[in-house]
Amino acid sequence: MKAPRVFRAASLAAACLAGASLLTACDSGPKPPPGVTGDPALGKLALTQYACQSCHKIPGVIGSDTFVGRPLEGIGKRPFIAGDLLNNQPNLMRWIQDPQSVQPNTAMPDLGVSEKDARNISAYLLTLD
Amino acid sequence: MLETRPTSIARIAVLTLLAAGALSAAAGLAVWRAGWYNIGATTPHLGIVYKVLEQAMRYSVQHHASKVKVPPLGEAEALRGAAVYRDNCAECHGGPGVAPSTPGLAMQPAPGPLVDASMRWQSRELYWITRHGVKMSGMPAWEFHLSEADTWAAVAFIARLPDMSAQEYKRLTALAPKEGKAQ
Repeated sequence: MKAPRVFRAASLAAACLAGASLLTACDSGPKPPPGVTGDPALGKLALTQYACQSCHKIPGVIGSDTFVGRPLEGIGKRPFIAGDLLNNQPNLMRWIQDPQSVQPNTAMPDLGVSEKDARNISAYLLTLD
Repeated sequence: MLETRPTSIARIAVLTLLAAGALSAAAGLAVWRAGWYNIGATTPHLGIVYKVLEQAMRYSVQHHASKVKVPPLGEAEALRGAAVYRDNCAECHGGPGVAPSTPGLAMQPAPGPLVDASMRWQSRELYWITRHGVKMSGMPAWEFHLSEADTWAAVAFIARLPDMSAQEYKRLTALAPKEGKAQ
Protein backbone atom coordinates (compact mmCIF):
# COMPACT_ATOMS: atom_id res chain seq x y z
CA MET A 1 0.00 0.00 0.00
CA LYS A 2 2.75 2.41 0.97
CA ALA A 3 4.79 2.30 -2.23
CA PRO A 4 1.95 3.32 -4.59
CA ARG A 5 1.00 6.26 -2.34
CA VAL A 6 4.57 7.58 -2.41
CA PHE A 7 4.57 7.08 -6.12
CA ARG A 8 1.32 9.02 -6.49
CA ALA A 9 2.63 11.88 -4.36
CA ALA A 10 5.79 12.06 -6.40
CA SER A 11 3.93 12.22 -9.69
CA LEU A 12 1.61 14.90 -8.27
CA ALA A 13 4.64 16.96 -7.24
CA ALA A 14 6.17 16.51 -10.70
CA ALA A 15 2.96 17.65 -12.34
CA CYS A 16 2.83 20.75 -10.09
CA LEU A 17 6.43 21.59 -10.94
CA ALA A 18 5.77 21.23 -14.65
CA GLY A 19 2.67 23.40 -14.34
CA ALA A 20 4.54 26.05 -12.36
CA SER A 21 7.39 26.23 -14.86
CA LEU A 22 4.88 26.52 -17.69
CA LEU A 23 3.17 29.39 -15.89
CA THR A 24 6.41 31.28 -15.31
CA ALA A 25 7.39 30.70 -18.93
CA CYS A 26 4.15 32.31 -20.07
CA ASP A 27 4.49 35.19 -17.60
CA SER A 28 5.91 38.01 -19.85
CA GLY A 29 9.42 37.92 -21.27
CA PRO A 30 12.75 38.95 -19.77
CA LYS A 31 12.79 42.08 -17.64
CA PRO A 32 14.90 45.14 -18.57
CA PRO A 33 17.43 46.45 -16.02
CA PRO A 34 16.05 48.46 -13.07
CA GLY A 35 15.20 52.09 -13.83
CA VAL A 36 14.17 51.31 -17.42
CA THR A 37 10.62 52.36 -18.25
CA GLY A 38 8.34 51.18 -21.04
CA ASP A 39 6.96 47.82 -22.12
CA PRO A 40 9.51 45.45 -23.70
CA ALA A 41 6.80 43.28 -25.32
CA LEU A 42 5.24 46.31 -27.02
CA GLY A 43 8.70 47.46 -28.02
CA LYS A 44 9.43 44.13 -29.69
CA LEU A 45 6.30 44.60 -31.82
CA ALA A 46 6.91 48.32 -32.45
CA LEU A 47 10.43 47.82 -33.75
CA THR A 48 9.13 45.60 -36.56
CA GLN A 49 6.80 48.43 -37.57
CA TYR A 50 9.81 50.70 -38.14
CA ALA A 51 11.61 47.85 -40.00
CA CYS A 52 14.54 47.86 -37.53
CA GLN A 53 15.04 44.15 -38.33
CA SER A 54 15.67 44.91 -42.00
CA CYS A 55 19.10 46.36 -41.12
CA HIS A 56 19.82 44.86 -37.69
CA LYS A 57 19.84 41.25 -36.57
CA ILE A 58 17.79 41.34 -33.38
CA PRO A 59 17.46 38.34 -31.05
CA GLY A 60 13.82 37.25 -30.78
CA VAL A 61 12.79 39.04 -33.99
CA ILE A 62 12.27 37.06 -37.21
CA GLY A 63 13.95 38.43 -40.32
CA SER A 64 16.72 37.93 -42.85
CA ASP A 65 20.38 37.60 -41.96
CA THR A 66 21.35 41.23 -42.41
CA PHE A 67 24.47 43.16 -41.53
CA VAL A 68 23.68 46.65 -42.83
CA GLY A 69 23.45 47.86 -39.25
CA ARG A 70 25.20 46.40 -36.23
CA PRO A 71 23.67 43.16 -34.88
CA LEU A 72 21.90 44.03 -31.63
CA GLU A 73 22.64 40.86 -29.71
CA GLY A 74 23.80 41.76 -26.21
CA ILE A 75 23.04 45.47 -26.60
CA GLY A 76 21.65 45.53 -23.07
CA LYS A 77 25.12 44.75 -21.75
CA ARG A 78 27.17 47.09 -23.95
CA PRO A 79 28.81 50.04 -22.21
CA PHE A 80 28.52 52.30 -25.29
CA ILE A 81 26.22 52.67 -28.28
CA ALA A 82 26.74 54.56 -31.56
CA GLY A 83 30.49 54.65 -30.93
CA ASP A 84 30.97 56.71 -27.79
CA LEU A 85 27.48 57.36 -26.42
CA LEU A 86 26.98 55.97 -22.92
CA ASN A 87 24.46 53.12 -23.04
CA ASN A 88 21.42 54.08 -21.00
CA GLN A 89 17.75 54.41 -21.86
CA PRO A 90 17.64 58.18 -22.54
CA ASN A 91 20.68 57.96 -24.83
CA LEU A 92 19.35 54.89 -26.62
CA MET A 93 16.03 56.66 -27.18
CA ARG A 94 17.84 59.70 -28.54
CA TRP A 95 19.87 57.52 -30.90
CA ILE A 96 16.72 55.70 -32.10
CA GLN A 97 14.72 58.91 -32.57
CA ASP A 98 17.37 61.21 -34.01
CA PRO A 99 20.59 59.41 -34.95
CA GLN A 100 21.91 62.45 -36.87
CA SER A 101 21.94 64.47 -33.65
CA VAL A 102 24.46 61.97 -32.26
CA GLN A 103 26.45 61.26 -35.43
CA PRO A 104 25.74 63.67 -38.29
CA ASN A 105 27.24 61.30 -40.87
CA THR A 106 25.61 58.06 -39.81
CA ALA A 107 23.84 55.96 -42.46
CA MET A 108 21.12 55.11 -39.94
CA PRO A 109 18.14 57.20 -40.95
CA ASP A 110 15.66 59.14 -38.82
CA LEU A 111 12.67 56.80 -38.99
CA GLY A 112 10.20 59.12 -37.30
CA VAL A 113 9.96 56.96 -34.17
CA SER A 114 7.57 58.45 -31.61
CA GLU A 115 8.65 59.05 -28.01
CA LYS A 116 6.38 56.27 -26.73
CA ASP A 117 7.60 53.73 -29.30
CA ALA A 118 11.23 54.70 -28.73
CA ARG A 119 10.72 54.11 -24.99
CA ASN A 120 9.20 50.66 -25.55
CA ILE A 121 11.76 49.70 -28.21
CA SER A 122 14.65 50.73 -25.97
CA ALA A 123 13.05 48.79 -23.09
CA TYR A 124 13.06 45.65 -25.28
CA LEU A 125 16.62 46.21 -26.55
CA LEU A 126 17.90 46.69 -23.00
CA THR A 127 16.62 43.21 -22.08
CA LEU A 128 19.03 41.69 -24.63
CA ASP A 129 22.11 40.27 -22.96
CA MET B 1 2.76 -19.12 -47.02
CA LEU B 2 6.20 -18.09 -48.20
CA GLU B 3 4.72 -16.02 -51.00
CA THR B 4 1.86 -14.32 -49.17
CA ARG B 5 4.06 -12.79 -46.44
CA PRO B 6 5.94 -10.15 -48.43
CA THR B 7 2.68 -9.10 -50.11
CA SER B 8 0.96 -8.50 -46.79
CA ILE B 9 3.93 -6.47 -45.51
CA ALA B 10 3.84 -4.38 -48.67
CA ARG B 11 0.10 -3.88 -48.27
CA ILE B 12 0.52 -2.72 -44.67
CA ALA B 13 3.27 -0.32 -45.73
CA VAL B 14 1.16 1.16 -48.52
CA LEU B 15 -1.90 1.49 -46.29
CA THR B 16 0.19 3.18 -43.57
CA LEU B 17 1.59 5.67 -46.06
CA LEU B 18 -1.87 6.40 -47.45
CA ALA B 19 -3.30 6.88 -43.96
CA ALA B 20 -0.43 9.19 -42.97
CA GLY B 21 -0.87 11.19 -46.17
CA ALA B 22 -4.63 11.50 -45.67
CA LEU B 23 -4.14 12.51 -42.03
CA SER B 24 -1.65 15.28 -42.82
CA ALA B 25 -3.80 16.51 -45.69
CA ALA B 26 -6.77 16.69 -43.30
CA ALA B 27 -4.68 18.54 -40.71
CA GLY B 28 -3.45 21.00 -43.35
CA LEU B 29 -6.98 21.53 -44.60
CA ALA B 30 -8.21 22.21 -41.06
CA VAL B 31 -5.49 24.83 -40.41
CA TRP B 32 -6.13 26.43 -43.82
CA ARG B 33 -9.95 26.51 -43.54
CA ALA B 34 -10.07 27.59 -39.90
CA GLY B 35 -7.83 30.58 -40.73
CA TRP B 36 -5.42 29.81 -37.91
CA TYR B 37 -2.37 31.09 -39.75
CA ASN B 38 -2.25 34.80 -38.92
CA ILE B 39 -2.04 36.76 -42.16
CA GLY B 40 -1.75 40.12 -40.31
CA ALA B 41 1.40 42.16 -40.93
CA THR B 42 1.99 42.93 -37.26
CA THR B 43 2.65 39.24 -36.62
CA PRO B 44 5.86 37.89 -38.12
CA HIS B 45 5.92 34.67 -40.11
CA LEU B 46 6.92 31.57 -38.22
CA GLY B 47 10.73 31.45 -38.40
CA ILE B 48 10.66 28.32 -40.55
CA VAL B 49 8.07 29.78 -42.96
CA TYR B 50 10.14 32.95 -43.36
CA LYS B 51 13.34 31.02 -44.07
CA VAL B 52 11.69 28.63 -46.53
CA LEU B 53 9.99 31.46 -48.47
CA GLU B 54 13.14 33.58 -48.53
CA GLN B 55 15.27 30.71 -49.79
CA ALA B 56 12.62 29.80 -52.39
CA MET B 57 12.80 33.37 -53.69
CA ARG B 58 16.59 33.18 -53.87
CA TYR B 59 16.55 29.91 -55.84
CA SER B 60 13.78 31.16 -58.14
CA VAL B 61 15.59 34.41 -58.95
CA GLN B 62 18.91 32.62 -59.53
CA HIS B 63 17.17 30.19 -61.88
CA HIS B 64 15.13 32.71 -63.85
CA ALA B 65 17.87 35.34 -64.15
CA SER B 66 20.57 32.95 -65.29
CA LYS B 67 20.26 33.89 -68.97
CA VAL B 68 19.99 37.68 -68.57
CA LYS B 69 22.79 39.51 -70.41
CA VAL B 70 24.27 42.46 -68.53
CA PRO B 71 25.12 45.52 -70.68
CA PRO B 72 28.19 47.62 -69.85
CA LEU B 73 27.27 49.86 -66.90
CA GLY B 74 29.42 52.91 -66.26
CA GLU B 75 29.43 56.29 -64.55
CA ALA B 76 26.71 57.75 -66.81
CA GLU B 77 24.32 54.87 -66.08
CA ALA B 78 24.96 55.13 -62.35
CA LEU B 79 24.21 58.85 -62.36
CA ARG B 80 21.04 58.32 -64.35
CA GLY B 81 20.22 55.52 -61.93
CA ALA B 82 20.43 57.94 -59.00
CA ALA B 83 17.31 59.70 -60.30
CA VAL B 84 15.51 56.44 -61.07
CA TYR B 85 16.33 55.16 -57.60
CA ARG B 86 15.28 58.36 -55.85
CA ASP B 87 11.96 58.52 -57.69
CA ASN B 88 10.98 54.83 -57.68
CA CYS B 89 12.96 52.75 -55.19
CA ALA B 90 13.74 54.97 -52.19
CA GLU B 91 10.11 55.18 -51.11
CA CYS B 92 10.16 51.57 -49.91
CA HIS B 93 13.88 50.81 -49.64
CA GLY B 94 15.31 54.10 -48.37
CA GLY B 95 18.98 54.89 -48.96
CA PRO B 96 22.14 55.62 -46.97
CA GLY B 97 20.95 57.96 -44.20
CA VAL B 98 17.46 58.19 -45.72
CA ALA B 99 14.45 56.31 -44.30
CA PRO B 100 11.78 54.68 -46.45
CA SER B 101 8.36 56.35 -46.32
CA THR B 102 5.81 55.00 -43.84
CA PRO B 103 4.40 52.16 -46.01
CA GLY B 104 7.93 50.88 -46.63
CA LEU B 105 8.54 50.67 -42.89
CA ALA B 106 5.51 48.66 -41.88
CA MET B 107 5.33 46.03 -44.63
CA GLN B 108 5.67 42.33 -43.96
CA PRO B 109 8.14 41.23 -45.17
CA ALA B 110 10.00 44.55 -44.80
CA PRO B 111 11.32 45.66 -48.21
CA GLY B 112 14.61 46.35 -46.48
CA PRO B 113 17.61 48.38 -47.54
CA LEU B 114 19.32 47.93 -50.92
CA VAL B 115 22.60 49.20 -49.52
CA ASP B 116 23.96 45.64 -49.48
CA ALA B 117 21.85 44.27 -52.35
CA SER B 118 24.75 44.06 -54.80
CA MET B 119 26.67 41.97 -52.28
CA ARG B 120 23.81 39.46 -52.15
CA TRP B 121 22.74 39.44 -55.81
CA GLN B 122 24.38 39.49 -59.23
CA SER B 123 23.54 42.47 -61.47
CA ARG B 124 21.47 40.25 -63.76
CA GLU B 125 19.45 39.11 -60.73
CA LEU B 126 18.84 42.68 -59.54
CA TYR B 127 17.62 43.50 -63.04
CA TRP B 128 15.33 40.47 -63.09
CA ILE B 129 13.85 41.26 -59.65
CA THR B 130 13.22 44.88 -60.65
CA ARG B 131 11.70 43.96 -63.99
CA HIS B 132 9.47 41.12 -62.80
CA GLY B 133 8.83 41.93 -59.15
CA VAL B 134 8.38 39.30 -56.44
CA LYS B 135 4.99 37.69 -55.84
CA MET B 136 3.40 38.09 -52.38
CA SER B 137 6.23 40.29 -51.14
CA GLY B 138 4.95 43.72 -52.17
CA MET B 139 7.77 44.15 -54.72
CA PRO B 140 6.07 45.38 -57.89
CA ALA B 141 7.08 44.50 -61.43
CA TRP B 142 8.56 47.50 -63.28
CA GLU B 143 8.61 45.97 -66.76
CA PHE B 144 5.75 48.13 -68.03
CA HIS B 145 6.60 51.19 -65.92
CA LEU B 146 10.33 51.69 -66.33
CA SER B 147 12.30 51.63 -69.58
CA GLU B 148 14.97 49.02 -70.17
CA ALA B 149 17.66 51.71 -69.91
CA ASP B 150 16.26 53.07 -66.64
CA THR B 151 16.04 49.59 -65.12
CA TRP B 152 19.71 48.96 -65.90
CA ALA B 153 20.55 52.46 -64.66
CA ALA B 154 18.93 51.62 -61.32
CA VAL B 155 20.98 48.41 -61.16
CA ALA B 156 24.14 50.42 -61.91
CA PHE B 157 23.32 52.82 -59.07
CA ILE B 158 22.45 50.02 -56.62
CA ALA B 159 25.84 48.45 -57.41
CA ARG B 160 27.49 51.65 -56.06
CA LEU B 161 25.54 51.71 -52.80
CA PRO B 162 27.71 49.46 -50.58
CA ASP B 163 30.49 52.04 -50.26
CA MET B 164 28.36 55.16 -50.67
CA SER B 165 28.20 57.53 -47.69
CA ALA B 166 25.03 59.32 -46.65
CA GLN B 167 26.51 62.60 -47.98
CA GLU B 168 27.45 61.04 -51.31
CA TYR B 169 23.95 59.58 -51.64
CA LYS B 170 22.42 62.97 -50.91
CA ARG B 171 24.73 64.67 -53.42
CA LEU B 172 24.12 62.18 -56.24
CA THR B 173 20.35 62.04 -55.84
CA ALA B 174 20.15 65.84 -55.63
CA LEU B 175 22.33 66.20 -58.74
CA ALA B 176 20.21 63.87 -60.78
CA PRO B 177 17.51 65.57 -62.87
CA LYS B 178 13.89 65.14 -61.83
CA GLU B 179 12.87 62.74 -64.56
CA GLY B 180 13.29 59.29 -63.06
CA LYS B 181 10.18 57.82 -64.68
CA ALA B 182 11.05 57.67 -68.34
CA GLN B 183 8.89 56.04 -71.00
